[in-house]
Amino acid sequence: MLLQRFLAAGTVLVALPLCAHRACAHEGVGHHGGRLADAGPYHVELVTKDRRVEVWVYDAKEKAVSPAGFKGTAILVVGGKPARVVLAPAEARLTGEAEVALGATPKGVVQITGPDGAAASGKFN
Amino acid sequence: MLPFRSTAAPRAPATALALSALALLALPFLATLALAHEGHDHGAPPPPVSKTVAPRGEAASAAFELVAIPRGDVLVLYLDCFATGEPVTDAVLAVETPAGPATAEAAPDGSYRLAAPWLATRAAGENHLDLVVTVTAGSEADVLPLTVALPTAPGPAAPAGAGHDGEGWPHRLAEGLGGRLAARDPGAGLAAAGGFALGLAAMGLMRAGRRAPVLAILVLAATLVLGATAFAHEGADHGHPETRAAFVPQPTDPAADLAQRLADGAVFVPKPTQRLLSLRTQLAVEGGYRRTVSLPGRVIPDPNASGVVQSSVGGRLAPPPSGTFPRLGSPVRPGEVLALVTPPVQRVDLSDMRQRQGELDQQIAIVQRRVDRYRKLSPGGAVSQVQLDEAQDELNGLTDRRTALDRIRQEPEVLTAPVGGVIAEAAAVAGQMAASGQMVFQIVDPRKLWVEALSFDALTPASDATARLPDGRSLPLAYQGAGLADRNQAIPVQFAIRGGTDGLRIGQFVTVLAATDAERRGLALPRASVVRTANGQDVVYAHIAAERYEARPVRVAPLDGARVLVEAGVSPGTRVVVQGAELLDQVR
Repeated sequence: MLLQRFLAAGTVLVALPLCAHRACAHEGVGHHGGRLADAGPYHVELVTKDRRVEVWVYDAKEKAVSPAGFKGTAILVVGGKPARVVLAPAEARLTGEAEVALGATPKGVVQITGPDGAAASGKFN
Repeated sequence: MLPFRSTAAPRAPATALALSALALLALPFLATLALAHEGHDHGAPPPPVSKTVAPRGEAASAAFELVAIPRGDVLVLYLDCFATGEPVTDAVLAVETPAGPATAEAAPDGSYRLAAPWLATRAAGENHLDLVVTVTAGSEADVLPLTVALPTAPGPAAPAGAGHDGEGWPHRLAEGLGGRLAARDPGAGLAAAGGFALGLAAMGLMRAGRRAPVLAILVLAATLVLGATAFAHEGADHGHPETRAAFVPQPTDPAADLAQRLADGAVFVPKPTQRLLSLRTQLAVEGGYRRTVSLPGRVIPDPNASGVVQSSVGGRLAPPPSGTFPRLGSPVRPGEVLALVTPPVQRVDLSDMRQRQGELDQQIAIVQRRVDRYRKLSPGGAVSQVQLDEAQDELNGLTDRRTALDRIRQEPEVLTAPVGGVIAEAAAVAGQMAASGQMVFQIVDPRKLWVEALSFDALTPASDATARLPDGRSLPLAYQGAGLADRNQAIPVQFAIRGGTDGLRIGQFVTVLAATDAERRGLALPRASVVRTANGQDVVYAHIAAERYEARPVRVAPLDGARVLVEAGVSPGTRVVVQGAELLDQVR
């Protein structure tokens, strides 16, 4: 009995940090099928489709943040050349149009400027 | 079971205690983990490495490494190649600033400068700045997010000690006394000891029920305390000049970036200093390498591209028809005349020759007369044509012998160059008597040199070898052959030097490093990347951040002339300093 209790407590103690560690990693896909990255106090999800760039902003707890008041710039490298896309709030996301087709997973950086004027950037590889 | 239970029951509270203790112990760890999530990139700039280093920001990608330093209203950017640390000075840097996109201008010193008026107009509480830098260098393009720590804003100038106003005098007093104690001020120590003694005395008198002495002691204590306050105030005003003097570079001084060894043993080297020392790195790659043995060797001329010029008969040396003997180092073609040797004629030979000459002259005169006579008589038929021809042939033979005798007396031996090359050794002086077999010139082709080494074990013919010179240069060698007869209990092995042979001398000593069959695994690094520290340990410097280097103790084995094999201490993929490591080691 006592031994079992010990074992259970031990398992919980060991498992907790592991779970916490798992939660840290942001690998994988976001709610809209895009890639996730940390950007200052926020998390951003990047979806590129043809020439359209869409960025969703979440807070640290993965809760969607309204894009009102946000500004954004996405600089994505396509075929060895950087493409700069200005993002503007539209509905629940920030969106913009590039001059060239971007492909599904271009590498680059998304910079967002919050309503308080502080800029933060997230890197996508 | 029962005894177990009976003992278990009283243990239960103890177990609970142990469990809660465990939980308490675990809590800080969980808290750290939770923090690790919260704080991973949520706007916290990295802490400054040292107080004497201006705030800065750095970013790196697989191709580039970028450092940005705010200097007044200009942002100075340094761009380097990530793997090698080589400065990239011809890139285009487009920066997303708070005031929109801007391009940094390349400065003559290899940095980039970006006018940043927004640095001055930022909010007072803002201690960092997020920028996005787009780097385009040649065909390579990369986007780097950059977080730049900002110098503390020069807010409204607060009077000295203003921060202490709200804290009350006990705090100030404690601080002042603490400071004095920390500075080992004997006065403060005495004051503390005196206060303790006075307190003891007051307590003793209180117990004894005496009021008046207690009052007197209290008054004395108050005086002391007020005096100490005055001391403390004085201390706060003047600071401690002798301790301040240690921090000569002020934190806000823009030129304060000094290469320095940090408290954790790492070396901080600002980008301008890195460029001054021309530090270069290399990504360490693990591989299998053949172990090498080092053999003593010396440079010899290629036997097929060198030769000696000797006189075969011996005689008096004379310059060639060109007029001068070839000088040391002058180039010669094969077959070129280098000197003439006139063989001396001995006195006894001379008389013999004179006698022979006389005889020949006499015979020539007789035969000449006979020929003349026959020539007159032969048309009449008194002498046959055959007799005339025979007499003429005899005369020709005698004349030839006479001229040959003359020639032998006068014609010298011509010394020619057997091979092309340069004169490596010359022992010719006009008029000098050269003995038969004596070397007059040595000719060496400087482009074709060999190395002869003494090996104590048989080398495999296919093994590649290098020769290391005393000045640190190394030469690739090609195996030519090994002798079978021992010389000084070792086998002579000959190698041809491939590539340049500039500056080599015949007979020069070299160290030959020949590969053996045994293969070892490790990281091959240039010899110059390993530094021996004061305690005799071999270290290499790892480039761990844009401006940070860390000494890593390593175990090295010799590999070849230019490289060493690092067997332990550095993991593959580490950026190791391969140039300027010695200079880095001098940073204190």
